[in-house]
Amino acid sequence: MRILVVEDEPTLQAQLATALTAASHAVDCAGNGVDGHYMGESGAYDAVVLDLGLPGLDGISVLRKWRAAGRNMPVLILTARDGWHEKVAGIDAGADDYLTKPFHMEELLARLRALIRRAGGHASAELACGPLVVDTRNGRATVDGQALSLTGHEYRVLAYLIHHRDEVISRADLVEHIYAQDFDRDSNTVEVFIARLRKKLPPGLIETVRGLGYRLTTPP
Amino acid sequence: MTQAVSRQRPGSLRLRLLAGTLVWIAVSIILAGWGLGDLFRSHVQAQFQAELTTHLDQLTAQLTLTDDGRVQLAQPLSDPRLERPYSGLYWQVDTLDAADPRPGVLRSRSLWDHVLAAPAASPVDGEIHRQRIAGPEGKGLGVIERSVRIDDPGGGPARRLRLVVAADESLMEGPVSRFRGVLWLALGGLGAGLVVAALVQVFVGLAPLRSLRVALGKVRSGDTQRLEGAFPAEITPLIDEFNSVLAHKAEVVERARTQAGNLAHALKTPLSVLANAAHAAPPDDPLAPLVIDQVAAARRQVDYHLSRARAAATARLPGARCPLGPVVDGLVRTMQRIHAERRLSLVVAPMDGVPDFRGETQDLQEMLGNLLDNACKWAGERVEVRARADGAELSVTIDDDGAGLAPAQRAAVLQRGVRADEQVPGTGLGLAIVDDLARLYGGSVCLDASPLGGVRATLTLPAVRRQES
Repeated sequence: MRILVVEDEPTLQAQLATALTAASHAVDCAGNGVDGHYMGESGAYDAVVLDLGLPGLDGISVLRKWRAAGRNMPVLILTARDGWHEKVAGIDAGADDYLTKPFHMEELLARLRALIRRAGGHASAELACGPLVVDTRNGRATVDGQALSLTGHEYRVLAYLIHHRDEVISRADLVEHIYAQDFDRDSNTVEVFIARLRKKLPPGLIETVRGLGYRLTTPP
Repeated sequence: MTQAVSRQRPGSLRLRLLAGTLVWIAVSIILAGWGLGDLFRSHVQAQFQAELTTHLDQLTAQLTLTDDGRVQLAQPLSDPRLERPYSGLYWQVDTLDAADPRPGVLRSRSLWDHVLAAPAASPVDGEIHRQRIAGPEGKGLGVIERSVRIDDPGGGPARRLRLVVAADESLMEGPVSRFRGVLWLALGGLGAGLVVAALVQVFVGLAPLRSLRVALGKVRSGDTQRLEGAFPAEITPLIDEFNSVLAHKAEVVERARTQAGNLAHALKTPLSVLANAAHAAPPDDPLAPLVIDQVAAARRQVDYHLSRARAAATARLPGARCPLGPVVDGLVRTMQRIHAERRLSLVVAPMDGVPDFRGETQDLQEMLGNLLDNACKWAGERVEVRARADGAELSVTIDDDGAGLAPAQRAAVLQRGVRADEQVPGTGLGLAIVDDLARLYGGSVCLDASPLGGVRATLTLPAVRRQES
C-alpha cells in the first residue's frame, strides 16, 4: 500500500517512513502543508498520516481541501493537541482516525491497517480469496495454511490486489500504489511481480483482463 | 458575593439620595412657615397699633370740657364699632385729678357698663403707653393710653385726663391664625410636590444604574458577551472599562489555550521521536526501557497539567454559554468514526428543551468527550446519551452496556493516585480531567450501575435557561 506521511519534524518523519516501509508500504513524505496538500491531491495514496501542526498550511485545511476536491483516501491525523475539540474538528474536516502524540508506532501501524481495510470494505484483518489468506497485521500470506515467501514488492502487489478483490486493477494503478513517488518506476516490473506471484499462488487466482489489467478472484 | 451585598442593603444609593432630599425639604418648609407667619403677625400687629393710635388721636382731638367742668366729646367718633356693645373696640376717659381720680368718666357705648381697669400708672403727659389688660367678658385687650392736661374754660385748674383706647386682641389674632392656616396648607402642598419631584428625580436619575444591573445580569447569565445599551456620560467610562476587561479576559483565556496547545505540540513531538527511537533500539540496549518509561511518565504529566491549566483559565469566564446539542452531535460523529471497528450503536435522546451549559464549549467537549470515549471503549454494542434540566443545572447521563465497574472501582477511577499508576495510555486520565473540570464549574461527575448493564456516568453542570426567541 502506498502511504503519504505529512509531518514537519524531520526525525519523526524519518521514523514514520522507516516503520511504514518496514511494514511493506511504499512511503512518500512531505514536510509542510503546501507540499503535503499537493502530493495528496495529485498522487494515488491508500492512506495518509497527517500531522495537524504544519508550517505553510495547517493539517485541518489540507484535509478539508482534499475532501472538497473529492479525495477520499483514509486519513489518520497525528496531533499533539489532545483536546476533544481538536479531535472533533479533525473528524468533521474528514479525518478517519486520530492519534495523539506521543504514540506507539505499533498502534499507528494497526490503526492504518484498520483504515485501509475498512476503506476496502473488509471487516477482518485477515483477507481471504479462495485458499489464499493475507494477514495484514504481520504481512504474511498463506495458501491452505502454507506460508508463502514473498519479497516486499510482491507482497505490496498481492496486498493491493486482495484489498480490491474482484476488481480489475490496471497496471498503472498498481504502479501508483506500490512505489513511492521518487522511485524509478517501470511498469514492466509490475509484470515481473505478477509473473512471480502467479508461480507462488494456485493457478487462476490472478486473472489477466486483456487491455485493462489484473483481477484477483476466486477461480471458478 | 456582589449579590449578597446588594441583598443586605437594598437600594442604598436611592435611600441615601431620598433621605437627604426629604430632610432638606422638611427643614426648608418649617423655616419658611415659621418665618412667614412671624412676619405676617408683626405686620398685622403694627396695623393694629396704628389703628388704635388713630382712634386715640381722634379721641384726643374731640375731647373738650364743658363750662361746668364735665368732660365731653365735641363729636362722636366715627367708627361704628364703638357704638356696638362689646364689639371689641373701646375707648374710655379717666380723670386723674389728684383730689378725685375717677376712672371711666366718659366711655364708648361699646363698653356698655364695663369700666376698663387701666393700671394706675401716672404717665407723663402726651406720651403713648401700650399694655394689655383684661376687658369685658374676660377677653384680652390691647390697650393704648395717653394722659393730657386740658385747661378748664371755666377758669378752674387745668384737668388731667387719661384717654384709653382698647381693642380685643382677637381682632388681631384672627387674621394671623387664618393666615397661618392657609400658609401651612400651602407649604404642605409645596412639600408634598417636592417629595414627589425628588422621588421622580431619584428614580429617573438612577434608572441607568438599574439598566446597568440588567446588562450585568445578562453577562453573568451568558446572554451577552459584553455590557450593552446606551448609558449616560457619567458611567460610560465605567462601562467601556468593564467591557475592555471582559474582552481582555477572553483574550487571555484564548491565549492561554493557544499556548497550552503550542506547548503540548512543542513537547510531544520530541517525546514521540524519543519513544519511537527507544522502541526501534536493539533489544539489549539498556537505555531503551528507561526512555520508554520516562516518556510515558512525561506524557501523562504534560497531559494532566496542560488540561488543568487550560481548565483553570476558563472556568470563571463570565458570559460563557454553549448549547449541548451540537457538542454532543460532534462528539458522537467523532466516536462513530474512531470506534468504527466496534460497530457501536450510539443513541442520543432528543435534546429539545435542555438548557445551555454555562461555560466554555471546549470544556464541555472535554468532559463529554472523555466520558463518551470511555463508554465507547467499554461498551458491548450500545451507548446511550440523555440530557435533562435539573433545576438550575443540567445533567447528562451516559450509559453503556459493557461489563461495568464494581462499586469500589467506581470511586477509585475518579481518584488521582489510581490514574497516575495507570499504565495503559489514554485511560484513567480522562476521568480525572472530567472530575476536575466539573468541580471547577461547581458541578460533579459520578459513576453508577447502568440499567444497560455497564456504567452510568452522570455529569451535572450549571445551566443557562435558553431564551425564548
